[in-house]
Amino acid sequence: MISFSRGEKNWMPYLLFLPVLIYLAGFVGYPLIKALGIAFTSEAGKLSFENFITLTRDSTFWKALKNTLLFLIIIVPLQVILAFLLALFVNSRFKGYMTILYIISIPLALSDVSAALMSYNIFTSHGFLNKFLMSFGIIETPIYFFGLGLSSRAFWVIVLTELWRATPLVFVILLASLQMISKDYFEAADVFGFSSWQKFFYITLPLTMPSLQSALLIRTLFAFQIFGVVWLLSGRDIPILAGEVYYQQAELNNFQLAATYGFIIALICIIISWVYITFLKAKHLELKK
Amino acid sequence: MLKRFIVVLVISMLLTSAVFAGEVLNFISTQMDPAAEQKFAKGVLLKGYTDETGIKAEFITMPTYHDMFIRLSAEIAAKKVTISLVCDLHGGLDLMNAKGLFDDLTGIALPDRTFIKALEDYSVMAGRKVYVPWMQATYIMVVNKKAFDYLPAGLTVEDVTGASEKWTYYALLNWSKNLKDAFKGPKLGFPMGPKGLWHRFLHGYIHPSFTGYQAAAFDSLRAVKIWEYLKELLPYLHPSSSVWGSMDDPLLKEEVLIAWDHTARLKTALIEKPEDFAIVPVPRGPKGRGYITVAVGLAIPIDAPQKENAIKLIDYLTKPDIQVKILENVGFFPTVKEAEGAIPVGALKILATGVLAQSGAADSIMVMIPSLGAKSGEFTATYRDVFTKIVVEGADIGTTITEAADKLRAIFKEVGVPLL
Repeated sequence: MISFSRGEKNWMPYLLFLPVLIYLAGFVGYPLIKALGIAFTSEAGKLSFENFITLTRDSTFWKALKNTLLFLIIIVPLQVILAFLLALFVNSRFKGYMTILYIISIPLALSDVSAALMSYNIFTSHGFLNKFLMSFGIIETPIYFFGLGLSSRAFWVIVLTELWRATPLVFVILLASLQMISKDYFEAADVFGFSSWQKFFYITLPLTMPSLQSALLIRTLFAFQIFGVVWLLSGRDIPILAGEVYYQQAELNNFQLAATYGFIIALICIIISWVYITFLKAKHLELKK
Repeated sequence: MLKRFIVVLVISMLLTSAVFAGEVLNFISTQMDPAAEQKFAKGVLLKGYTDETGIKAEFITMPTYHDMFIRLSAEIAAKKVTISLVCDLHGGLDLMNAKGLFDDLTGIALPDRTFIKALEDYSVMAGRKVYVPWMQATYIMVVNKKAFDYLPAGLTVEDVTGASEKWTYYALLNWSKNLKDAFKGPKLGFPMGPKGLWHRFLHGYIHPSFTGYQAAAFDSLRAVKIWEYLKELLPYLHPSSSVWGSMDDPLLKEEVLIAWDHTARLKTALIEKPEDFAIVPVPRGPKGRGYITVAVGLAIPIDAPQKENAIKLIDYLTKPDIQVKILENVGFFPTVKEAEGAIPVGALKILATGVLAQSGAADSIMVMIPSLGAKSGEFTATYRDVFTKIVVEGADIGTTITEAADKLRAIFKEVGVPLL
C-alpha cells in the first residue's frame, strides 16, 4: 500500500512526475540513445568512427558547418542588440506603446515556413520589392536576390528573414525582465546623480543578465536548428547542418550520416550552452563565501 | 455495478472495432501523397468504390518506397498482413516483387479495357504478372505562346510542336538567348529546388539524348558535351530555378516562358490559362529524344486478407471513366486506351496531345526510372551534385564525372540492377 502520509516515504511527487518521465524516456531518451548508437555504427553494423570519417571527408559538411556558424555569429548578436533596444523603447511606456508591442510580437505567431514564404514573395524577381522599385523607375530589370550562383545574396535575405521572425522571442524575454526591475533602484540612482548610461550599465544590464543568458541560450540553440527558412529560400545552395540531417535522412535514406550530423549538432549545442552558463553567470545573484 | 458496466462497455468497443477493422480493405500507396490528392483518393475514388460495392476501403499513404517496403515486409514476415492492395512506381514494385512480396496476377479478369502494350509488358516480370498498370506520367516542356515570337532563325513552331530534327538542345539554347535579350532577363526555368524533379531531367532526358544511356556512359566523351552544354545554358536559366519545386506558378506569373516539369506539376498552369500555353516534346540530342515514362501499378501482397475485394478495387480503379477522373484531379494519364476518347476538350486534352507527340516522336528514347530502392536518393543526388560542382562552382568536368561515374556504378552493383 502506497502511503502519502507524513512521516513515511512520500511517493506523491514521484507519481506526479512519472508520466512526464515515461514520455521523455520514450520519445526523447530512447531516440536520442538510438541515434547515438547509429552514429557510431558502420554500414557493416560494427562499432566505429567510420561515419565521422566519411563526414569530415565530405566538403559539404564543412560548408554546412561554416554556414551554420556564420548564421549564428551574425544573427544572434544582431537579434539580441535589436531586441534589447526595442525592449528598452517599449519599456519607456510612451503613449500607444501597447500597439507597438503587438506589432513587434506578430512574427511570434508565424512558423518559419510562413516567414520564408512571405520573404520569398517580397524578394523574388517578380516580388513586391522588385515591383515597387520598377514602378518608381528606380530599376529597369528585376534584381535577383536568390538562386543559381547567388548564394551570397540569398545569405543576407535569410539573415533579414530570421531577424524579423525570431527577434520578438528575445524581445519578449527581455521586456519581461525589464518590467520586473524595481523603480526603487532608479530612484536611488537619481538621488546619487547617476547618468542614463550609468543606470543602464550598473542597474539595467546586471539585473537583466539572467534573462539575457536565457535568451542567448535559446536563440543560439535555435540557430542550430535553422532549417525551413534556408531550405525554402536557397534549397541546398547554402548547406546548413540541420538541412543536411534532413537531406541525408529523407532524401538519401542514409540514417548513419543523418544521425552523425545530429550528434555533431547536439555536441556543439552542449559546448555552447556550457560556455554561456559558465561565463554569463548573473554575478549579483551569487552568494560568495 | 458501475465497474461491470465499464468492463462490458470496453469489451464491446474492442469487439466492435475488431469486427469493423476486419472489414476495411487497406490500400497502401506512395502516390497521391499531397493533401489535395489524398482528399481526392479518399473522398472520390474510394468513396465511389464503397458506394458501388459496399466494401469499405482505407487509403493509407507512405512517404517513400522505403517506408512502404519496411511495413509490407514486416507484416508478411510476421504473417499478420493487413494490406490488401499496394500502389507504387514500377521500380518499387519491381524491387518488392524480387523480395517475393506479391501474388501472381496472371489471368486477372478486367473486361472491356485494353491496356497500353508497353506498360502491360513492363508489368510482367519473369513470367509473373506482378501488377496492373494504373496510371502513367511523364515530364514535358511547356511554352508560353509569347515565346514563339522569338524562335531562333531556321526553327519554326511546327518544328517544335512536331518534334522535328531541328528541335534540338542547341536550338533551345539559341531560343533562350533570344528570350533573354528580348525580355532583359532569363526566361527558361527548371524545377531545381530541393523538392523539384531536376534530377529526372539530368538522368532521364539529357543523358539519354546525348549518350543513349542514363548512367552507363556517365564518364564518356559524349557526356562531357552535356556538361559543356549546361555551362553554356546557365546564363539563360532563371536564377530562381534553384528554389522552385514546380513550374506551374513561375509559368503563370510569366517569370519564365519555357519550362520543363512533371505533367502533374504543370496541370494547374494549363487549367488556369489553357490558351496561353503549348505543350511541346522535349528537344533531341545527338542520340535522340530521351524521355521518362513513369508507370504506376497496383499489386496484391501475398496473404492479403481481402484478395477478392482488392481485385474488385483494381477493376474499379482501371475503369475508363475513373481514369479520366484521375487525370482531371491528379494529372496522371490513363493506362487504358478506352479512356483516351473520354478526355474532355481543354487543358487536359492539350496536355495529353503534347504527351502523345513526345512519346510518338520517331527519334524518342523511352526510359524508366531505375529500380534502386533505398539507393535511389543517392543516385539522383549524384546528378544534382555533379551539376552544382561543374556548372555552378566551375569544377573540372573530367575529374568530376569520373568520380561520380564510379559512385553510380557502385550503386547499381550494390542493388544488383544492370547499369542503364
